[in-house]
Amino acid sequence: MRINYLILLLISLLSFFRVQSQTTSLKGKVVDLAASPVPGVSIRIKGTSTGTSTNSEGAFTINAPSGATLVITALGYQSQEIPFNGQGQLTIQLEEDNQTLNEVVVTALGIKREKRQLTYSTQEVSGADITKTKEPNALNALTGKVSGVQITSSSGQPGSSSRIVIRGTSSLSGNNEALIVVDGVPINNAQTGNNGNGSGISRFSDIDPAIIESINVLKGSAASALYGSSAARGVVIVTTKNGNKDQKPSFNFSTQFSLDKAIYPEVQSTYAQGDRGVYWNGVDNDQKTSLVWGPRLDTLTVGGQPVRNVNPMDAFFQTGKTYTNTLSVQGGTDKSNYFMSYSYLDQEGTIPTTNYKRHAAFAKFSNKIYDNFTATFQFNYVATTAHRTPEGYGLEAPLWTVYTAPFSWNPLPATNEDGTQQVFRYSRNNPYWALDNVYNDVRGNRFIPVATFNYTPTDWLTITERLGADIYSEQSKYHEAPSIPVGTTGILRDRNNNYRQFNHDLIAEARKQLGDDVEVSMLVGNNVFSTYDQQYQLEGTGGFTVEDFDNISNTENQISTENYRRFRRVSFYAQPTIDYKKMLTLSFTGRMEQSSVFAKENRTYFYGSASGGFVFSELIKDKAPWLSFGKLRASYSKVGNDNVSAYATATVYSTATNFPFNGVPGFLISGDLGNSNLKNETTTELEIGLETQFLKNRIGLEFNYFDRDHTDLLSYITLANSTGYRNSYINAGSMYNRGIEALLNVAPVKSENFSWDFTFNFTKIKNRVTELYGGADQVQIGQTFAFVGDPYGTFYAPGYSYNNEGQKLIDDTGLPVIGPSQKIGNIQPDWLAGLNNSFTYKNLNLSFFFDMRKGGDIMNSDDRYGFFYGTPKVTENREDRVVEGVNVNTGQPNTVTVSGQDYYQRLNAIYEAAIQDGTYIKLRNVSLTYNFPQKFVKKTPFQRASVTATGRNLWIYAPHFTGSDPEVNSYGSGNDALGLYGNSAPTSRSYNFTLSLTF
Amino acid sequence: MKKSISYILLSAALMFSSCEKFLDVNENPNEPSLVQESLLLPAIEYNLVHNVVAGWASINAAHFMQLIALNQAPPNVGTYLLNPADLNDTWRYTYTDCLENLRLMKKQADEKGNTIYSGIASVLTAYTIAYTTDMWGDVPYSQGLNATETFTPAYDSQEAVYTTIQTLLDEGIASFQAAGGTPPGNRDFFYQGNTAQWIRAAYTLKARYYMHLTKAPNHTAAAQAQLALSALENGMQSNSDDLRLVYDGTAGKENRWYRNFLPVETIILSSKTVDSLVNRNDPRIAQLITRSKQNNAYLGRVIGSAGIGSLESYSLGGSFYASANSPLYLINYREALLLKAEASLILSGVEAAAPFYRQAIEADMAHIGVSSDTAIASYLASRGNINGDNALSYIMEEKAVVNFLSSEIFNDWRRTGYPALSRVQNAVSDIPRKMLYPLNELTNNPQPQHSGDALTKRVWWDAQ
Repeated sequence: MRINYLILLLISLLSFFRVQSQTTSLKGKVVDLAASPVPGVSIRIKGTSTGTSTNSEGAFTINAPSGATLVITALGYQSQEIPFNGQGQLTIQLEEDNQTLNEVVVTALGIKREKRQLTYSTQEVSGADITKTKEPNALNALTGKVSGVQITSSSGQPGSSSRIVIRGTSSLSGNNEALIVVDGVPINNAQTGNNGNGSGISRFSDIDPAIIESINVLKGSAASALYGSSAARGVVIVTTKNGNKDQKPSFNFSTQFSLDKAIYPEVQSTYAQGDRGVYWNGVDNDQKTSLVWGPRLDTLTVGGQPVRNVNPMDAFFQTGKTYTNTLSVQGGTDKSNYFMSYSYLDQEGTIPTTNYKRHAAFAKFSNKIYDNFTATFQFNYVATTAHRTPEGYGLEAPLWTVYTAPFSWNPLPATNEDGTQQVFRYSRNNPYWALDNVYNDVRGNRFIPVATFNYTPTDWLTITERLGADIYSEQSKYHEAPSIPVGTTGILRDRNNNYRQFNHDLIAEARKQLGDDVEVSMLVGNNVFSTYDQQYQLEGTGGFTVEDFDNISNTENQISTENYRRFRRVSFYAQPTIDYKKMLTLSFTGRMEQSSVFAKENRTYFYGSASGGFVFSELIKDKAPWLSFGKLRASYSKVGNDNVSAYATATVYSTATNFPFNGVPGFLISGDLGNSNLKNETTTELEIGLETQFLKNRIGLEFNYFDRDHTDLLSYITLANSTGYRNSYINAGSMYNRGIEALLNVAPVKSENFSWDFTFNFTKIKNRVTELYGGADQVQIGQTFAFVGDPYGTFYAPGYSYNNEGQKLIDDTGLPVIGPSQKIGNIQPDWLAGLNNSFTYKNLNLSFFFDMRKGGDIMNSDDRYGFFYGTPKVTENREDRVVEGVNVNTGQPNTVTVSGQDYYQRLNAIYEAAIQDGTYIKLRNVSLTYNFPQKFVKKTPFQRASVTATGRNLWIYAPHFTGSDPEVNSYGSGNDALGLYGNSAPTSRSYNFTLSLTF
Repeated sequence: MKKSISYILLSAALMFSSCEKFLDVNENPNEPSLVQESLLLPAIEYNLVHNVVAGWASINAAHFMQLIALNQAPPNVGTYLLNPADLNDTWRYTYTDCLENLRLMKKQADEKGNTIYSGIASVLTAYTIAYTTDMWGDVPYSQGLNATETFTPAYDSQEAVYTTIQTLLDEGIASFQAAGGTPPGNRDFFYQGNTAQWIRAAYTLKARYYMHLTKAPNHTAAAQAQLALSALENGMQSNSDDLRLVYDGTAGKENRWYRNFLPVETIILSSKTVDSLVNRNDPRIAQLITRSKQNNAYLGRVIGSAGIGSLESYSLGGSFYASANSPLYLINYREALLLKAEASLILSGVEAAAPFYRQAIEADMAHIGVSSDTAIASYLASRGNINGDNALSYIMEEKAVVNFLSSEIFNDWRRTGYPALSRVQNAVSDIPRKMLYPLNELTNNPQPQHSGDALTKRVWWDAQ
């Protein structure tokens, strides 16, 4: 009752004002410091809801009462307030502002908050900064830009997956990657399409970077607690572009062209194929060998002719090309706005035949149905195709015989006259033959519809309902022809994956001003989330009697499998906030969650957070005018997490490998032991942050410290097989991440014609595994191990053998003794940093971005195998040598001379010799943009035009790493093979040219 | 307004009430939670043969026994270089695919009174743990295969395991004699549920495992030979009693030794295998080994030699044991005869042994398809009769032929020293006498037996 009365009162007051005020029409124009018009600027009459925005010429018209104050706000500019005294004409000049204090950021559940009032750490990257990097996968565009975030790409093959980890590894074996949310709806970022060996495609690459308005990274769990379980690992919030109110249609067309040059690993180029200095030609049947320990190439002649001397990588890799065309339009009326975009990306990889193509269409329409009811519909459709080649150590993969092929061998023609493969060694395919005969075709179709309804029954209450879905189907077909050298009978694997994910949020937010100084708000909501993942696979082996006929009917044995998984989660949450004078903010969150992956008794769990922010600069602003802004914040949070896949609670029987056999079906108990006692894991985090701005925001410094404890980790452990099982999920172990993040923004020069900005960010995280199941001190996770007391990701394999004095032990033959399995390296970097510089002179902008990683070991498996073959760069030194160390039997210094070949072939068994420090400095991006001056553009049909030249990975300094790129995770974005570099597609040095036209 | 709020409240209430049901979706729809014995047995038999009997531990043993060679530069497994991780596969197949499934199958069969399944489970469990203990020594059994109770089972002594083996075989025989419940029929790849054959196989296995203990501490060769001979009275009667798996040879379903000799494995025959068959003019040679593709000659590689030759210049496993559709043997009638020969030699001397020795060779010739009596006669003549000096070595040499490529050769060599071997060139140690405990156990179930583990260590029955 009381509420209705208030509303009535309010409405009558409003109508009273409407009748009484005398308004005048004002025509104005908004320009920037370079006098270019700024479209999309919001002009609002202070204290009212009346407002408009500028059109594409920067012009606006507004009816305002005399004496009113106009509030001019625009993203990226400092806002202004201008008194209106009845002027007929007005030109408003906006100053750019990279660090607007009133900046509004999108936080959890799509709720917008003033950055000033946030009680936790977030970092935003604008859409412009993302498109500037020219990365087809927007996730890669964040690399090095956001503190606390580590992004690792998996390979250089087009469309390959990337891994994003925020504030350190938090799970032993489960998902470690951040949650991705687009316009308030979580989307799937699984790695799919890896039908065959090597990395797959991460589904984030379906999101066209051109539709992204901004990406905001929520790092701490206080920030993400409202999102629930999956957000314990941090959240990447993607906000797509909008049209503006009262905006004339504005079209943008951009076209891009990139050239990619593969970055080769370092190999020796001095010696020919052969053994102990004797040349083997690799052609005759008794002259085939994997060894490249032959004679020098430069002096080697056969029959008076010099032998071939061509780097097999030069011959094999091609210049990759990427074309991207994007057309978008945005606009709006007083009641509605829209944004539509279509783009087509066509990428040809540096490995011949590989490609990736993406059609992305996006439309968003928002309409004010009633004054207090707004509906927004958006629809994203993405169609992708990729043609990929397997990577890694599968014997069928082509890169084996590119990276380790002798310079003296001619790989072409790929087949002999009799149709058999032409190989220089047995057991591996000819790389060109493999390109044509071993491949994976992936076709994806994805829909991401979102509907958002906003209902504001009173001025203090907002009810939001958001329905979103993420639906994709992916067909992949892996083809592996029968190979005599590798001894395979051929595989055809046709896989069809249907995935659906639904998300529903119903949120009510009440906000009330109590007196002049205090504002309170209360948010309550409900979330229902469900996924359905279905996979059908038909696998045919053998046969292949009809040539070039890629149909399952052409195979001898077929096995079909069906697999579907359902997952559901229901949550209720609340967030009360109290704000005093926009100076002191206190916020709490609470969430109750029920997850279907646990047994009934353990299904429900609660958690929450408390956080506060104190804008201390408010208190001392008179005494310290140089301090534009200063805020101290602290938060403590606890988040539950159901980081385990469905069906881990029970043990089942599976069809046995190679069955049906002799026409009889066969089953075995699955190696995964079910555990009905599983419960949620917990992340507890303390975060303290300081945000400051100095000298009228010319210098900004943000600093965070966090201490995250992860306990009851849902871990997929390896069991001793004598238990009868291979693996089980258990709540085992704990680890912590403690770290600091620093972000510095400086604008050393800011004048009408020239400005210089630089941004530096730094992250240092200390990760430690503190406890493992049953008091164990180590557990294996894929290729690496977790040891109690060490950072996650230890390489544990045979190393050198040392005596107590730390001297290397040498055996009687003069070679290093192969030591036992031991800790020989760790994947965790010491720190990460990024430095961006941006110079703008009139219409010219130059920016360059360096990023750096200190430490983080890589197992260079290519070199390890190569030691045996004689292909890594170091094996160029083949002199006889006396290996430094002491004899294992006598304890006397070693004096036995060994050949270079014997030495390196021994190192092949000593994994420690292939561990390389992954430190790097990269000039990741250089971008030069020229905006055509208005006076030229005016004469064209266009409103704005620009050209941009961008270089990526122009310079990489990796002093200890001899592979292509120390950033690569050869086996995809999962946990299985972290830090392993092996036969992966090389990353590229790219040159990109872009023309962008707005009309 | 009021209406919409009540709608929201209503839907929230509905959501609450249907919540529990909504969340009950964690039952695995993809795989069954129970399958009957007839579905487990075929998969167990296949894995026991394909991945244990002819798996990596047996391949390693074939290297140690100098039967096969790697066409790779040393050091490698041929020169006794092995990592614990190399044994993970066999251990895993042994315990998870075979022993745990045998346990589950037996439990179900006993509950239902399907005694033939129960008997097969007992006999194959005995076979599997015997394989395991012969390879590794002390192994987990009585405390293992109990994952709900312990993830770190203690190991049994080999002596205790050997007691269990005989008990299990006796239990198996008793079950077959009871013969009730559903018969396995074609789900039993080995004998199609023929209990008489299973009983003969169980007795032959008893004899094999008695003989394994001829030099074990607190055992005497004579007593073991006596036990073996009495067991063999009920043992295999003919070549058709062989315990073996028949492969159909289609893509992916080829005999394991066929796959082992594919070029990708770079496994070829050793000079020792090839030369001994050539030197003895063994008429079985054409079936046992191939001529090299390149030169159409019998040529084996000298293990440990430097450099790498052309794969196609060497002999490989021949058509009889290493074709795509060759059967693979767990124990056979010829072995039963040679066990008799050895036991008789121990108890009664060469005269008693000679007829069994001769029968074994004849049976093997017949088995392999050497039909010419003259060829058999001339082989026997050129080999000459066994005598007091050479009897044991001749019996074991023939046993290595009738058990071609089998890991039983490794057991016999450790027991008897025959066929005689010397260290290969470039060896990194003495000739191995056991397998290393696998990395999987070292990491996840550390036990006192792991300390000082080495290939050259001796298992309990391999007393010096």
